[in-house]
Formats: sequence, structure tokens, C-alpha cells
Amino acid sequence: MKVLLVDDEQKFALMLSKRLELRGFDVKPCFSGEEALEVLKKGARFDAAVLDIKMPGIGGVELKQKLSLLDPNLRFVFLTGHGSDDECIREEDIEMICLPKPLQINTLIETLHRIVGESGGSEKDKKL
Amino acid sequence: MKESLRRALGFVWPRFQEDDDAHLNPYFTFRDHRRTWWMVIVILMTTALLPLVFLTITHYQLVQKSIDIESQLRTERLASNARQAVTLFFEERLAALTFTAKEVGYDHLSQPGYLAEVLRNLKLGFGGLTDLSVISQSGKQVAYAGPFNLEGKDYSKQPWYMECQAHDACVSEVFLGYRDMPHIVVAVKSFQQDGRFFILRATLETERLIQTMSAFKTGPHVDIFLVNQAGLLQTPSEYYDGEARQTDIQLPDHSESTKAMLSADRSGQPIVVGYASIETKFSPTSFVLMVVKQKAGMMKVWLDLRREINWFFVASAIVITAVVILTSSFMVNKVFKADRDKANTMAMAEQNSQLASIGQLAAGVAHEINNPLALINETAGYVKDLFTIKAQYQHDPELMEQIDSILDAVDRCGTITRQLLSFARRLDLRAQAVDLKKMVADVINFHKKEAAYRNITLHVDIPDEIPRIETDRGKLQQVILNLVNNAFQAVEDGCLLDIRAEMEGAKKVRLSIRDNGCGISEENIQKVFDPFFTTKKEGQGTGLGLSITFGLVQKLHGNISVKSKPGEGTTFIVTLPVYAEREAA
Repeated sequence: MKVLLVDDEQKFALMLSKRLELRGFDVKPCFSGEEALEVLKKGARFDAAVLDIKMPGIGGVELKQKLSLLDPNLRFVFLTGHGSDDECIREEDIEMICLPKPLQINTLIETLHRIVGESGGSEKDKKL
Repeated sequence: MKESLRRALGFVWPRFQEDDDAHLNPYFTFRDHRRTWWMVIVILMTTALLPLVFLTITHYQLVQKSIDIESQLRTERLASNARQAVTLFFEERLAALTFTAKEVGYDHLSQPGYLAEVLRNLKLGFGGLTDLSVISQSGKQVAYAGPFNLEGKDYSKQPWYMECQAHDACVSEVFLGYRDMPHIVVAVKSFQQDGRFFILRATLETERLIQTMSAFKTGPHVDIFLVNQAGLLQTPSEYYDGEARQTDIQLPDHSESTKAMLSADRSGQPIVVGYASIETKFSPTSFVLMVVKQKAGMMKVWLDLRREINWFFVASAIVITAVVILTSSFMVNKVFKADRDKANTMAMAEQNSQLASIGQLAAGVAHEINNPLALINETAGYVKDLFTIKAQYQHDPELMEQIDSILDAVDRCGTITRQLLSFARRLDLRAQAVDLKKMVADVINFHKKEAAYRNITLHVDIPDEIPRIETDRGKLQQVILNLVNNAFQAVEDGCLLDIRAEMEGAKKVRLSIRDNGCGISEENIQKVFDPFFTTKKEGQGTGLGLSITFGLVQKLHGNISVKSKPGEGTTFIVTLPVYAEREAA
């Protein structure tokens, strides 16, 4: 499964991507919204994107809208440093999955599998 | 029992700040309620009592004046009546002598036997006559009737004789004469058929005259007597009888009518003197009738009146004083209670706000700590992964790197925790040297993330020349935090926040916090420091932040002011003394 990971905490992003890679994921870590957009504009495609909500420049929610324009099939998981982030509630008309930091790695993996599996990501998985 | 007494006393003696209110002192509107109380009492007493004193004095003067006038009038009347009686006394006798001289004629009168007959008849008619004599133009006595043998005496040098020549009639002063008894000589001049004149002279006992005057004595304080022009007593006087027989009353010039005046006697006692010259229609006399009234005798009315006035004054003053004290105490009590309640509310509100800002801070810190914690979580997870998933963990340099990473993240958490602790430190006023630049940097640190997310440009300009200022670290930190928080709430994303400091003279530092946000309207700018004033929606702001900031700056002996233009932004200016001032204890 190909995952785009965007978080302004560089070490965090790197560490999380290493852990996911150990579990068989193909992870592309990015450290800002702009960098992630560049990656998609260059033609890279992912099954899911894990976005930090609060980032300098383009925040998680805004980034999701922009990424969706580039790849309508992309699924999203959000990460938040706040225990209860009202950004998640504000966007409740769209399906938003918010996971609190610090992360339980298994919860993230289960979530990723769930959202990608629901939307036919499993087909792509089989191809891999 | 004790409590009710205390409450009753409270109506008169209000309760003021006590030692246990000391922590509320900065929030009181009136610094010193006791002084306010005294001032109210003094002002009210002055305005109420001054007119009363003025009225009483005027009343005193009026009463005294009218009593003086009244007593003068009375004395004058008495003197006038007595004068009429004395004048009549002399006129009657002069008229009788004139009639006798003209009717009987010189030839008959110069016969001693006939003269004795006339004397007897006159005594029957008037009484008080001692003797009767006829004196020729040369001044020699030609006939005499009476108890003394004075025939042949020469009177040409006697003053009464000379006066009689001039005026046709005369009344002498009282004198002892050859007989050594006080008597008055009355004489009339008449003409013989040959053109020469003769004088018919009679001697009067003074007893009758004294009786006539004493009829007018109306009381023990009244003295009526006759004096001559030189002031020598002619008849007995109660007050002036003595060896000298001289009154010491200064009489004004001769007066036709009766007069009265205020004077003082020898011992300084006030008296009223009435006086009138005695003038008969036959001739003037040297007598002056005097009425002397001791004022003390008439003072009783005045004393009674004065007692009444005094009572009225004292009673009014007591009532006014009581009303003034009760009113002042009541009002000042109410003001004090209201002021203390306000101070209590303010103190509580500040505490609440401190708690709220600590809570806010804690939430902020928790958020800040979350990121390093997330990193620790991932790094530690990765290390665990290396142990469990990869077999070749021994001698792996990456392992050491990850452990360093964990330690680094823990260190970051520690820094944030330390900042939290320094923030939450209890906020008593404790002066210590504070580096303004570092403190602003610390405060800004908490907002860096938010500023980055919201694209707010933070510009801090605190030159190195600004000295360390002696002040309370915690309170100053809260002031700056409140103002920065306020600015963050006031600006839109992408705005500018400018914090700068400069010296104002040698002893003051001016810290200004400027934003280019929405600004404050003119009507609201007056109220920004008022407690519970807020423009935020209900439930979003308490309206206490700036009010508490204001109180804190005052506690630090500083000033805070605000300048704003709607649409252009707002600048808060805090001026602080460089050296801590001692609390006025």
C-alpha cells in the first residue's frame, strides 16, 4: 500500500515512515503541504494520505481539498496534537478520520487498511 | 448583646478598612474611607453650623441693640417727667414771689411786721420756705422775716443778687450760706414807684425739692438728682454721694431737651444716663437734672432672652451634629461596603483570571509537549520494532542514534515543563531584576506556533540598552501575556504584531504592543479597562482580562494606556519604573 505522510515535525515523519515501512508499507514522507502537492503534481499516486492537521503554511484540512483535486481517489487520515481538535468536528459533513498524537501504530495500520479496503484499494494491493 | 451594641455603634462610627482587607487595598476606589468620612462631616458641619452661628450672633446684636434703645427711651421719658416737676416747683415759687412783689409793693414789704405776715401766708400756700427778705437796689437788706436775724446784711457781692439784676429773677445753686444749712435762694426783681428796683428774696429748704424728685424713683436701680453745670451734686445721690460730691459723668454741651446716653460708672458697670437742664420761664437755673439707671437692673430681660438664644443654639447644634454624623456614617458605611464588595469581586475576578490563564497555559503546554511526545512514541516504537522485527540489532549504529533522538525529545519536554513551572509560580509582589527582552521572548515562545499557523508576523524590538527592571516577575509576565493574548484575539490571520521597548527618561521603561488588527471604536476605548466590558460574544470572554491587566500594572506602580483607530489597529502602552518602589505601607 502506498502512503503519503505529511507532518512538519521532520523527525516524527521520518520515524513513522520507517515504522510503516517495516510493516510493509510504501511510505513517502513530506514535511510541508507544499512539498506534498509537488509530489502529486509530479505524477506520484498514493492509496492513502496521513496528514497532520496543524502545519505552518497549508494546513491539513486545506491540503486535503487540494490533494483531492489532484487525485480524487485518495483516502485521508488526519493526525492531531490536540486531544479534542475542533477542526475535525468542523468538517463533519465530509468523512474525516482523526487520530490523536502520540499514535498507536496498530490503530493507524488498521485505519489505513479499512479506508483503502472500503474503496477498492485492495484491488491495487493485489496487483502489488 | 455585644454584636447588637457593635451594630448600633456602626451607625455613628463606621467600619473602615481593617488589616484583613489589606489584600483588597489595590482595588478600593477610595484610598482612605476614614478621611472621606471626616471630610464629609467637616464640610456638612461647616455648611450647616456657619449660618446658625451667624444668625445667633445677629440675633444677639439685634436684641442687645433694641434693649439699649428701649432703656434709653425709658430713661429719657423719666428724666423728662422729673424735669417738668422740678421746673414747676421753681416756677410756682417764683410766680408767687413775683405776684407778692407787684401786688404788695416795696413800701408795705419793707415793713418787717408786714413781711412776716406775707411769709406766714406763703408758708401756708407752699410750705418749705424758711425766710423772706427785701433787698434794696444797693444790695442792702432792708427787711427780713424768718428765724435768723440777718437784717442789714449786704448781698451786693452775692452771685444770685447779680444774676437777679440781670434777669429779673433768679434761682441760686444749693449753698450753705451764713446759716450753715443747705438751701436755695429764689429772688425776683420788682420796681418801686420812683423807678428804683428792689428784690424780694426767699430761702427754700431743699427737702421739698428732694421729695418732688424722689416721687419719680421707680425702683432700686434708679437714681435721680440735681447737679450744677460743673457736675457738683446739688441734691443727695445714691451712687455719687461722697466727700467730693462730684459726679464723674461727662455731660455734653447744654441741651434744651431731655437726652439719654449709654455710659459706664466708676466700676465699669454699664449705666444709662438721662439729663436735662432746668429752665424756668422766669430765669434759667444752673441745675441739671440727672437720672442714672444701672443697666444691670434692666439686664434681667436680656439675660433671660440670652439664655433662650443659647439654649436654642446648643439644641440646634446638637441636633445638626447628630444628623450630620448619622448621615455621614450611614453614607460612608454604604460607600465602604459597596467599595469593599467591588474590591472583593475584582480580587476574585483576578484570581479567576489567573486560574483561567494558567488553565489556558496548561492546555497550550500540553499541546506543545504532545509533539515531542509523539516523536518519543514513534522513536521508541521504532526501537522496539528493531528489537522485535529485525534480528541484527547488535552493533547497530542506528540504534544509538534513535536512543539519542529519544533523549533529545525528552529534553524538549523538560524545557517546556520548566517554562510552565516558571509561569505558574504564585504571584505575590516580589521585586526582582527582570530582563524585559528575555521575558517577552519567553511569552512570545508560547505563541510562536499559533503565529506560524495563522501567518501572523511577530516583530520584537527591545534594544540591549534597556536595563533590567526591578519588578515582580510573575505579574509582569501575566501583563505581557494578557496583552499579547488580547492582540492575537484582535488580529486577523496574516496580520502584524509589533512589540517594542524604549526608555522614557532615566527611570521609566515604555513597552508598547501594537497590532494592525480591527482597532477599537472611540466609544469603546473609554471602557476597555472597565471590568466585565467585552465586545466578544456571550460566553467567549469574561471582560476581565484588560481590567485585571490594568490592576496588575497599577500594583507594579506603572501606567497603562491605549491608543486605537478603527481599521488601523491598536497600541497598548505600559510604562514601568526601572526601580521598584516600596509599597506604601
